Amino acid sequence: MGQQYTGAEILLKALLDAGVDTVFGYPGGSIIKVYDELSKYQGKLRHILVRHEQGAIHAAQGYARASGKPGVVIVTSGPGATNVITGVADAMIDSTPVVVITGQVGNASLGTDAFQETDVIGMTGPIDKWTFQIRRPEDVAPAVAKAFYIASSGRPGPVVLDFTKDAQTGLAGYEFRKCSFIRSYDPHPEASEEALDRAAEMINDARKPLLVFGQGVAISHAEGALDAFLRKSGIPAASTMLGLSSLPSANPLYMGMVGMHGNMAPNILTCNCDLLIAVGMRFSDRVTGHTPSYAAQARKIHIDIDESEIGKIVPVDLGILGDAREVLEALTARVHTASYPEWIASADRAREVERTRVALPETAPAEGPVKMGEVVAEVMRAVGDDAIVVTDVGQNQLISARYSRFVRSRSFISSGGLGTMGFGLPAAMGAKLAVPGRQVCLFVGDGGLQMTIQELGTIMQDRIGVKIILLDNNWLGNVRQWQELFFGGRYSCTRMLNPDYGLIAAAYGIGFRAVSERAELSSAVLEMLDSEGPFLLDARVLEEGMVYPMIPPMKPLDRIMVSKDEWYSDGE
Amino acid sequence: MYIISVYSENQVGLLSSISQIFTRRNINIESLTVFPSEFPGVHHFTFRVVTDEFSASQVVKFIEKKVEVLRAYWYESNSVSAGEHDDLSAYLIEKDKTQK
Repeated sequence: MGQQYTGAEILLKALLDAGVDTVFGYPGGSIIKVYDELSKYQGKLRHILVRHEQGAIHAAQGYARASGKPGVVIVTSGPGATNVITGVADAMIDSTPVVVITGQVGNASLGTDAFQETDVIGMTGPIDKWTFQIRRPEDVAPAVAKAFYIASSGRPGPVVLDFTKDAQTGLAGYEFRKCSFIRSYDPHPEASEEALDRAAEMINDARKPLLVFGQGVAISHAEGALDAFLRKSGIPAASTMLGLSSLPSANPLYMGMVGMHGNMAPNILTCNCDLLIAVGMRFSDRVTGHTPSYAAQARKIHIDIDESEIGKIVPVDLGILGDAREVLEALTARVHTASYPEWIASADRAREVERTRVALPETAPAEGPVKMGEVVAEVMRAVGDDAIVVTDVGQNQLISARYSRFVRSRSFISSGGLGTMGFGLPAAMGAKLAVPGRQVCLFVGDGGLQMTIQELGTIMQDRIGVKIILLDNNWLGNVRQWQELFFGGRYSCTRMLNPDYGLIAAAYGIGFRAVSERAELSSAVLEMLDSEGPFLLDARVLEEGMVYPMIPPMKPLDRIMVSKDEWYSDGE
Repeated sequence: MYIISVYSENQVGLLSSISQIFTRRNINIESLTVFPSEFPGVHHFTFRVVTDEFSASQVVKFIEKKVEVLRAYWYESNSVSAGEHDDLSAYLIEKDKTQK
């Protein structure tokens, strides 16, 4: 018999063999053996001690989204496990590869309501990609290998390994065999030639085609393939929120972001196109508005790696099951060289109305309080459009999605599908740890910051150099906006008294500056960017700031509010 | 009435997360059977549910997303599932080849 290791040590060896260098976690009674073994692995496996398990999983998500590698979380049983649940659901809907290891009570105590025992398998099964309870030390290495394979292949997602004490303390030999095959799992479907031919035919026949892409492009490393396809086909393209940064903002065929608070031109083009090509996106209701009328006039092609997404929300004329990069490359070879200047110009009026009536007043106002969009625009100017933009959820997210600009992929990290407030700060931490050489700018509201504000402790301890731009308006701004527009101005429970963020930053030893004057904004942003280490910029913005344009929920995409009393009309 | 027929590997917790797919869509399970299939090591679940064709097809796609699920089928309860056995058999032979 070869050398024997505890299951806890096998876990760490297997994580290293799976290519892990950083884990986010929090110790506790049912994972203490793993933490004990971890002391031997200092220098090989970096452990970031968060301040709450929710911080660990959002940090792992930020790490994964910035790097493309699975994020890893280690927490204890019971409350440790339940505290990561929000992040597991978030990672599932946003296709983020995360491997979560939860401690679990001993095998004999399972199902007895033992101290800190909870049914992790039962709770996570419906909201993750794969769950497995490890009850024997010899199962640890194969389970880890399988977990990384499942988390990162196909449509990525979160995987939970529930690791009982018996499996942690028991002994077994160690051998790591990378997993690349599971009989019941097919992560890499090959697009059918017939479907590709048919798609090329539809594309070549189209006179007003539009391509809408989501995060599937970045996940499949299809940025180059998308660019090549667009250049040859001449087709204009628009992004979902999670697709942002997969095409550089300056690409001449890039039309902007679609959806509820997206750019007007791509929303109008969606309503007028004769062919819609959807790539690696899932027709979220924030993208489609009123689903039955969504591009109802157009033929539709949906390219996705997840079969259950095809036809789920919007009926399509052609579904192509496959990897976005492979499909786009195959289509590029098949389509004619073309260009559509008149079709693209047909949205000029929408562009101009958005620029003059919405974007300029938001990003370059002449007077009045500082506006949210102005802060985002100032930061983008100062970083030369090259930063990883992380957002929380709400107005801060919508406004930074609207006014951020990108030159590189994997530069926009946000909780899209689940819309998890409190995501931003820990996700920014994870992103900075994954890509320390890049500037990481978090845009966060005063509501969301306080949901996971404890992670300032982690930022302090590990000197994680995130730049936190607090869009501080003393309201739960997005709910306040809906109350103003759709609930008769009854601002029920959205006014929020803020603490003194200067004192909070000082308590954590984090650089700080508050700014409420337009004249100081530029120097404040530069001070933040030039500072060593973490910095909190408290931007006191217009309290009643609104995010426009807005398509009210479940309305057709051409029902666009340019302001509270003004609707866009596409006719002359 | 629709029959949803599922073939899977043996995995703790799988039944619960499959039945959750029905619950989440407010589909009541009228009857459920679980038994070993004629394929060694493969479990066979059948769910009898009242729903419509679109929901039945959607549920099957979501069930097939579960890593341990080999194949899932849906059909109206008065139709015959003649193709199921041959289809699964072909799938397993194909997978067997891929592994080697």
